[in-house]
Amino acid sequence: MPAVPLKRVVLGLSGGSADPFVVRLGCQLVRGQRAELIGVHVVEVDWSHDLSEDISSGNEQAAAVLDHAETAAENLGARLLTSLLQARHPGAALVDEAVALGADIMVLGLPYRTRFGGDFAIGRTVPYVFQNAPCRVLVAREQMPVENRAQPPLPAAVGARA
Amino acid sequence: MSGPLGPTGPPAPEDPARKPAGLVGQKPGDRRVRMERPRAAYFRYEGPGVLVARPKASEPTTPVGKALARVRRSLLGRPLATEEEIGERLSKRKALAIFSSDAISSSAYATEEILRVLVLAGAAALTFSLGIAIAIAIMLAVVSTSYRQIGYAYPSGGGAYAVGKANLGRYAALIAAAALLVDYIMTVAVSTSSGVEQITSALPSLAPLNVEIGVVAVGLITLGNLRGIRESGNIFAIPTYLFVGSALLMIGIGVVRIVFQGAGGPPGQLPVAPIHDTVSSVSILLLLRAFAAGSVALTGTEAIANGVTAFKPKPSEAHNAAQTLTAMAILLAVLFVGITFVSQHLGVVPIDDPTTGKVQQTVVAQVASLVYGADSPGFYLFQIFTALILFLAANTSFNAFPRLAAILAQDGYMPRHFAFRGDRLAFTLGILLLGAISAGVLLLFRGETTALIPLYSVGVFVSFTISQGGMVRHWRQTREPGWRRRMAINAFGCALTGVVSVVVLVAKSPESLLVAVIIPTLVGLMLFIHHEYRSQAQELEVRPDVVIGPPHRKQRVVIPVPGLTRAVVTAVNFGRSISDNVVCVHITDDLEAGERVRARFERQLPGVPVVIVESPFRSLVNPFVAYLDVTYTDPEIITIVVLPEYVGRHFWDRVLYNQVTNRLRQALVGRPHTVIATIPYRRDA
Repeated sequence: MPAVPLKRVVLGLSGGSADPFVVRLGCQLVRGQRAELIGVHVVEVDWSHDLSEDISSGNEQAAAVLDHAETAAENLGARLLTSLLQARHPGAALVDEAVALGADIMVLGLPYRTRFGGDFAIGRTVPYVFQNAPCRVLVAREQMPVENRAQPPLPAAVGARA
Repeated sequence: MSGPLGPTGPPAPEDPARKPAGLVGQKPGDRRVRMERPRAAYFRYEGPGVLVARPKASEPTTPVGKALARVRRSLLGRPLATEEEIGERLSKRKALAIFSSDAISSSAYATEEILRVLVLAGAAALTFSLGIAIAIAIMLAVVSTSYRQIGYAYPSGGGAYAVGKANLGRYAALIAAAALLVDYIMTVAVSTSSGVEQITSALPSLAPLNVEIGVVAVGLITLGNLRGIRESGNIFAIPTYLFVGSALLMIGIGVVRIVFQGAGGPPGQLPVAPIHDTVSSVSILLLLRAFAAGSVALTGTEAIANGVTAFKPKPSEAHNAAQTLTAMAILLAVLFVGITFVSQHLGVVPIDDPTTGKVQQTVVAQVASLVYGADSPGFYLFQIFTALILFLAANTSFNAFPRLAAILAQDGYMPRHFAFRGDRLAFTLGILLLGAISAGVLLLFRGETTALIPLYSVGVFVSFTISQGGMVRHWRQTREPGWRRRMAINAFGCALTGVVSVVVLVAKSPESLLVAVIIPTLVGLMLFIHHEYRSQAQELEVRPDVVIGPPHRKQRVVIPVPGLTRAVVTAVNFGRSISDNVVCVHITDDLEAGERVRARFERQLPGVPVVIVESPFRSLVNPFVAYLDVTYTDPEIITIVVLPEYVGRHFWDRVLYNQVTNRLRQALVGRPHTVIATIPYRRDA
């Protein structure tokens, strides 16, 4: 299948375990094309802070998300531009940023949550982006750990009652 | 996305001017703020508390620095990150070409050096050249067999210094290191001068410029190495194989002609002594001198044993290195003996320009001229290949010398700067030093290979002897299977190279004695450096069992002030932030003016005492230092001298301002219990 022509690919980076795969996927999408790869990390600001209050530029955690993504992209031979945002609602910020950047496709990660018995917590960002982003959206769901995969049902015993 | 984050890093400064503007989203109430990451351009976050500097962090900030960086970049290329270092493993074929260029290239001048000695005894003495060449080839066999064992015993690289240090102690190791350093310098000088002689043999009109060409060649090789030339790739392999191929062809054609056509004979211009008189006329000392001169052929034999780690690991690095070493020894022996045989039978003798005394045409060039035909393409191509391999041989020293210097620096025997790698991952200082000394040697000896040869090979044989001796000790200690046989080989090699060291030293005297002086001097220098570093380390050492408590010493701040300026206010404010005991000292020869300064301070900087020191002799620095000496003598109190400094915007500001500050700083450096803090004040701040 021929590659979809792309000019700008936006990666939504959450700092979770799915980020490396999101970056790899983004790099594969832009490979062989003159497309820009932009990693966006949104720091959610609660209502106790003013939105314009700088709580992320000196924040190591936020820097780590973007810097690690940048390093991973470089290792894969791609150049990742980065954007750090502060917003009340990360989903809305991602959609607005994708619109502002003129993104052709947005890639998001969906990590596996090991707490509470383990599940994929979709949260509110992914559904919001699905419903509101004007561009294509690709959600890279993380692989389920082997120990959490559902066991195949045991064959029913002969003569057993339902 | 991520949850609400509190600032885990340092808090951002409160600067309303830098407050980011909000961006309005598509839906009502959706707002986002794009944050600047000023640190991102300079550093990359690697882990908790770990930042990696990006190239921009290493860029100079001043206009002059930027201009210099641009020049350096255009000359040397862009800076390389450590991770960009090439770790290529070499195949045997490529390694043979790369590591053997030094050894194989010596066949281009070794025969000539034998003939230059023998020719003194007349044409008949030249018949001894082949015998001497065979004797040297036998010695090569012994040395290369011994070095094969070193490769197996020290697969991480068995340089004479490493082997000596591990087995014979530091003095032997340092002698070996000094000998090698001298050897590397001489390799550059001799290979370059010989390479230039090959060029001038083909183009005699360039002969008067031989020194200039040699120095330029050394400069270009130095520049290339500063750019980070690696001893890998076909660029370096091709000249070696071209030389080997064309030299073997030349020997083959020459042998065929000699056998079938009986070409050649003793040169006509030399007196031919009757054969029965030959032995009596050729003294043993002359033969020894010829042997010593020809032994330069062995230089570079150790290169493969030093670079075992560069070989491919299958079946093993040491095995591949050993096979390559054997191939190199065979090739070198064939080339050396072959060239000597052909030159002897074609009646070739060294020809010097009678007017200048410089080499007119080298022996190997004469052989090529006779075999391929004078002014034939084959002759010119051979000369080009010979010059290329000789320059390549010079280049190998540019790899070895800085690396050895770096190892010595790491061990504390050379200044630590030698261990620092420059922008291009090369040991810059070692390369520059080697280039400068080699060029100096070329100038000193007017680029004449024959004049340089007596200084050469003494160091090589000293290092051979030490490494072989170290191996004898190694086998005795490890007693690995077959150790007796291996020890016997190394012991024989040690004895042989030891004897040859003495022979070379004596036979090439008095010039060779210069090396005998330089090597111990270098050893003494290295021991002195080591002593200095060790004493300094002992003084600075913090015992690992000591837990350091909080400081309990008091401190006072003394600020020399010329008057009340913004720079002084900045310095005073800094001083007050670190101590309550702040004193401003105004040195003047005009008491009334001093009182006016004090009054202004009391009015505009209340609470800061000003001491006026009247200096009738108009001296500024010494009265200030004397004031410090007499006011506080308690060693428990640290004196912090805060120097206000005006930072100019132009280069001429350096001349116009801060002269007294600089003098004060120089006077106070090293003063006990004193810290000097320079507080810059920028005009645009």
